[in-house]
Amino acid sequence: MKRMVTMFAALLLLCAAVIPVAAQTKLKVWYAVSGNSGEAFKAMLEKYDALNDDVTIESSYSGNYGDTATKVSASLVSNTAPDLALMAAGPLYTGARNDYFIESKINDPDFNKDDIYPGVWDYAKYNGRICAVPYGISTPVLYYNKTILDKAGISLKNPPKTWAEFAQVAKTAQAKGNVSGSADFWGFDVTDVAWLFKTMLNQNGNGIITVKGTKIAPAFADEKADEVALFWKKLVDDKVMPMGQHSNAEKKFLAGNLAFLVATSARISRWASDPTLKFGAIPMPYFQKPSVALGGNVLVILSKDQKTKEVAWKLVKYLASKENQTAFALNTGYLPIRKSGLTLPEAKKAVESNGMFAVAFNQLDNSWSYWHFEQMGTMDQILAQMIDTIERNVRDPKAALDKAAADLQAEIDG
Amino acid sequence: MKSTLKKRYPVIFVFLILSSALMIFPFAWMFLSAFKTSADVYSYPPKWIPSSFKWTNFAEVFKKIPFLRFYANSIGVAFIQTFLQIAVSAMGAFALTKLEFPGRKKMFSFMQSSMYVPEVVTMIPLFLLASWAGLVDTYAGLILPGLNCAFTTILLMSFFQTIPNDLIDAAKIDGCGYYRIFLQVMLPNSRTAIGTASLFAFLTHWRSYMWPLIVTNNVKMRTLPIGLKYLVQETSSEYQTLMAASLMAIIPVLVVYMLMEKEFVQSITLTGLKS
Repeated sequence: MKRMVTMFAALLLLCAAVIPVAAQTKLKVWYAVSGNSGEAFKAMLEKYDALNDDVTIESSYSGNYGDTATKVSASLVSNTAPDLALMAAGPLYTGARNDYFIESKINDPDFNKDDIYPGVWDYAKYNGRICAVPYGISTPVLYYNKTILDKAGISLKNPPKTWAEFAQVAKTAQAKGNVSGSADFWGFDVTDVAWLFKTMLNQNGNGIITVKGTKIAPAFADEKADEVALFWKKLVDDKVMPMGQHSNAEKKFLAGNLAFLVATSARISRWASDPTLKFGAIPMPYFQKPSVALGGNVLVILSKDQKTKEVAWKLVKYLASKENQTAFALNTGYLPIRKSGLTLPEAKKAVESNGMFAVAFNQLDNSWSYWHFEQMGTMDQILAQMIDTIERNVRDPKAALDKAAADLQAEIDG
Repeated sequence: MKSTLKKRYPVIFVFLILSSALMIFPFAWMFLSAFKTSADVYSYPPKWIPSSFKWTNFAEVFKKIPFLRFYANSIGVAFIQTFLQIAVSAMGAFALTKLEFPGRKKMFSFMQSSMYVPEVVTMIPLFLLASWAGLVDTYAGLILPGLNCAFTTILLMSFFQTIPNDLIDAAKIDGCGYYRIFLQVMLPNSRTAIGTASLFAFLTHWRSYMWPLIVTNNVKMRTLPIGLKYLVQETSSEYQTLMAASLMAIIPVLVVYMLMEKEFVQSITLTGLKS
């Protein structure tokens, strides 16, 4: 009898020890967002962990986008990759490795993929196939300084629709709106030249790249691109935009020395919450059609284990749900990726309290992206260098575009 | 001396004062910004003196990140790395300058060439090795692969070469073996150079960012340069908090420099090295 009791107790202990271990999956999650965004994302992971007994999440900040790319590359070759990562250029680490697990899952009825903006989905593709879930998405937004425009007597009740109209407004702001009396005062500037240039190209009917099968080729050496480059140069020649000082654009804007600034939509929540900043936003002007290029980060599942992938997918669904993704967006400055997210009370409240949110959210209808490809980072560098040569009169726009296209083609050809 | 310089070479004196002001400017800006409000940071024209000294910026740092843990990790890792690197470099420099053995020149060339390989090239292979050895998320993983001995070895070699061989021969006659020559002749005569090499090594390890980021995932294992990145905002720039953290972060470097300032300056004078 004593032996039976001992055996029964041992069996109970064994069950108690084995069952929870067998049922619990450990998920390693890396995220490439810091500050408030990092804290908000980590808080969501912790909440999910607390709600689900079958999952333990080990989260880790992995540095900025560039650092995370290096860290993920190193971890993939040594089989120590995280199961899930929030990072930029995620499709290069899934689709480029022929991993389209997410594509096989997005028709999950709980996920409602059609609720996500179509342009946003393009930001999660490699070779035309979905291999990531868009998450911290942003677009360029045209901000203005109210104080400067008031001094210049400019009303934006009917904001300029085209870039040609905008150039006139920026010129007036430059001439009449110098509130600080600074010698370094400008009408217009941009923080990320390549991002705005790509937006302008697409607005003018240039798709930046062409895709034939799996082959990518640069498409920005045509007359449509030439028109955009000439407009850019005119802004500099007319001294509305400074030559090659774009890294200081945001500082100038914050210091009241810049009337209009194109910067990421991620600035809205910060600026909207500061009553001392009198900024507003207007829809991005265009050439032929309204359009804004997308940027930001995506969620990718990197695990090789099928069971872990399934568990990671459940977490992705949780993070990308209407409520959670919209809350993340409003807290951090990224944009809601789901159309239904805009119907939530908190999104409506944000739009009512500050018009900048409405501008950014409305732009999502015209958001656009090209598929990910390996040389996309290099392309941005080439475009930024090309614009610099145009601004400094080193090359005329057509020659600069031709050279940039040739340089990118050489990179693609290896 | 000061008054002599001022009277005899007034132009040089003014130039030195201006140069010093230029060097001090970023530190002064950092120091004052650490006490500013958000509005002060962005005000135009720039405000030198904070409108009110905001000590809460420092408290904010401790609230947002485990600053003391990052601090302790950085101090521990940087000091151990410096000690190990200087120990290995000193022994290497002694062997390469004072001992005769086959392949000595080739070994020196090989070591020298390693200095020209960028860190980013070796990062992934090094991580593969560290991962294979089970060093990920360990102090050994933070310390060992981060040792860069080539520069400090070459620096110490240039100094060891100035120590006369007669001194070593005399020690040999007195019955010293290589270990005693190294410990009791070479090292005591090279304190200045070792101090300089230690300072260079410490500064490199103190500000090291990429390798500690790659080899650690656990927040408890992370060092200060990564910790400061946690404070960088995606949607705004709260420079005042970042400056408060940076101000606290540079204290150990200042302490090390102040302790070794004499050796550092002497060594520059002796070796002509200004890197």
